[in-house]
This record gives sequence, structure tokens and C-alpha cells, in this order.
Amino acid sequence: MAIIRLDNVSKSFPTRHGSIAIMQEISFEVKDADFLAIVGPSGCGKSTLLRLIQGLDRPSSGSIYFRDRPVTSVVGGMAMVFQNFALFPWLTVSQNVAFGLEALGWEAERIAAQVERYISVTGLDGFEEAYPREVSGGMRQRVGLARALAVEPTVLLMDEPFSALDALTAEGLREEVLQLWRDPQLPPEAVVLVTHNIEEAIQLADRVIVLSRRPGHVLAQVEVDLPRPRDRKSAPFYDLTDRVYSLITEGGTPPSPSGNGGGAIAG
Amino acid sequence: MATTYPKCSPTEMLGLLVLLNDHKGSEDVALLADDLDLEIDEIFPALEYAEVLQFVKVTDGRATFTDLGRKLVGASIRDRKTIVREQLKKTPLFRTIVRALEASPEHRISDEEFGHIISFTTAKADGGEQNIVNWGRYADLFRYDADVHAICPARKVAATKGGGRSPPPTPPPPADSKPAVRSSSGSTEPPRGPGTASAVA
Repeated sequence: MAIIRLDNVSKSFPTRHGSIAIMQEISFEVKDADFLAIVGPSGCGKSTLLRLIQGLDRPSSGSIYFRDRPVTSVVGGMAMVFQNFALFPWLTVSQNVAFGLEALGWEAERIAAQVERYISVTGLDGFEEAYPREVSGGMRQRVGLARALAVEPTVLLMDEPFSALDALTAEGLREEVLQLWRDPQLPPEAVVLVTHNIEEAIQLADRVIVLSRRPGHVLAQVEVDLPRPRDRKSAPFYDLTDRVYSLITEGGTPPSPSGNGGGAIAG
Repeated sequence: MATTYPKCSPTEMLGLLVLLNDHKGSEDVALLADDLDLEIDEIFPALEYAEVLQFVKVTDGRATFTDLGRKLVGASIRDRKTIVREQLKKTPLFRTIVRALEASPEHRISDEEFGHIISFTTAKADGGEQNIVNWGRYADLFRYDADVHAICPARKVAATKGGGRSPPPTPPPPADSKPAVRSSSGSTEPPRGPGTASAVA
């Protein structure tokens, strides 16, 4: 059964000069045990899509379903990891991880146990009392991850989680995210990763949704049927990367008046 | 081990090892950097510290896993911390910090004292204190309390004041090494600091 289903979702924003279409008629499903990546050039509405899925914003037309129920407001059962970590600077690592649980109204004792567990699985023990400013980007994103996982979401949403990190740190953290994902003891049941990094998408995901330039629409859904850990230097990996890259660069413009042709990829 | 202090974060060094693993455990350093579109000097800090901790050997411009490095990259997130801890404890820098912490009467090293310790172990600290603290935190060698600006014993083995859990018995350190810094009271208590996690075997 699909956990999340998008049915012809479009989104446009009004401006003084008329409305701008961000995405058009997007349909796809997130299934159980899915690690789904959404790739596309900057401005194609990838992040907006995550906001819609989480119920933070409403589509202009079309529908989104979570476990077959229409998403009309913020959905429990989802948690987000942000590009810029979105940690509270005045809270310690532990307090940041506890934040989501406090918001859910958990009792203090239960929060403490849960925080300890997720601090530990993300490798943050030792940093409990640290403030975000004291720790490296890699550790900050671990906090973002621990905070999201601690609420034991059905679906983990990740919005460019590695792009604010230096290359080596990102490499290390991607591998850790896969470790956590493979652990059957841990949530979530599905991951939706938004990224502009095609290699990253193919390295991590089972399925890649390729979006076009704005207004974003689905160019293709690419299955990544490669065993993990994936060898980035293997021929099949290279072929898939090449295919997605071609899709985006040649991905034409949608049948809309705002198309401006050209084949350059942004982002 | 060299008296080198870390100029990268733990995650950066782990990232380098993951990258090296992608290259089957042995690769020309320039090609490693190139794989991530980095300049070669951008991976040097991580490479240097991976070598200090004996996870990697660099010969003729080629980085190759040691057995321990291979073990580290194959380990879980938690086990990695234990492996790193055991290696950190062998470095003069961290050994000295841990000893000083054990020897200090309050089991606490203030920022100022920490500065002194570093000046004993390295030529210059050039603002790397925060990074050193974070390696110690990562490996659970000690904590740092930003509110009182002091390094404190790791929680699991902390000698809690006024009762509570007592620390596990800790074998004495190797007789050959002495802490570079001792508190003026010259404590002769047996060490009770972060100790004997035995998971690396």
C-alpha cells in the first residue's frame, strides 16, 4: 500500500504580475520501505513539494494522501531534516533532540529515554550538553537527524540534507544515513530525499523521481536496482547517472506558456 | 604516535575513510581528492589524522587502509566511536588531557588549564581547542560543559559527587608515561577517568 500518494498536484503562487506555476500535475507514490529521491534543477519546486507532502502548505489543485487519507493540515508521522539544520542555538544537543517530543506532549521520563536512544544511534553521545555553535556541521546535521528520528516518523523527509556540508563530511554522513536506514529496529518506514545532486540520489535511493525545470513536472521515475553499498565507479551506476542527467538537461519544457526553451541545467 | 592534533572533524575523517573504501581501500591521494572535486590540500587534514590514528598508511602519495582502518569503516556508528576512542587514547595529546582530568582534584579542566595542556603537547594551538574538545566528546573520552567552561569526565564513567554509580575498576595506565600536567595537589589517587571500554578486540 502506498504511504503517500500525490495525485495531479499543481502549485502556483500569486504575484503582482499574475500567478507563477511552480509545479504541474505531479503524481507519484511513496510505498512502504521506499527510499525515494526527488531530483531536479533549482527552482523546480522540490522543496515546495516536501512542504506540501508534510501538510505545511496546500496544493493549488490536485490531492495528496497519507495512508489513503487526504492531507489537509500538518501530518503527524512525518519529520523533516533541513539543509541548514534548523537547530535552536540556545538549546543543547539533547534539548534540540527533545524538542519535537515535547511538542508532542510526551512525559519527561519518556522523552529522556527516547532522547538517549536517538543520541546514541546517531553517534552523538558525548555531545549531549554541547550547543550547536560548538560543534561541526556534520555533528549539527546528526542532531537534525536525531531530532527527526526521535519522533519515530513513518516517513522521513530530507530537504538537501548534505548540501550545506563540506564534501568529506557529506560523504561520511550519507553513509551513516544508509546505516540507519538499513537498521530494521529504527524508523522510518520510508524516506523522501530532495536533492539536486544526481549521484547522491542514485547512491542512496531505490527510486528517483526526476523533475523538470519550472514549472516542475515528472520527467521520469528511475528505478535504482543496484545492490548497496553502491559502487559509484561501476558501469551501471555511471549509466544511471548519465540517464538522469540527460533527462534533466534535455528535459524540454512542459506544455506551458512560460517555457523559455534552452537546455541548460541549473543547480 | 606523532604529537599531532586534529585539524578536521571526526565526521570529516570518517568521510575520507568511506571515500577510500569506495576506492577499494587503496588509492592515489590526488585521485581521492579529485573524486569529490576537491583540491588535494582539502583532504590533507582528514588524511593526516587518519594516519595519526593508524587507520590509513600513506606511502608514495598513495593512501591504503590498515587492518584497523578497514575494521573501522566496516563498523557500526557506535562501534566506530569505540575504535576511535582506543586510538585517541594512544595519542600524546588525548592521553595527556585524560590524565590531567583524572589527576585534577575537581575532575575538571578549565579553559585556561586546557590551554596550558595544549601548549605542552603541541607547538601552537591556533584556535583548534574546540576541535580537540569535539574529538574527545565524539570518542566519549570526556565532556565539555560550556556553561562553566570546563572539561569534565565522560558521563558513563564519571565519578559522581555524593554517591551514585561508582566507576568500574580501571587498570593503571602503562608505567612508562606520565601526565605532562598535574594539578598542584599532586593527586596520587588511582586513575578513575574514562577508561576501559574493551570493545576493540
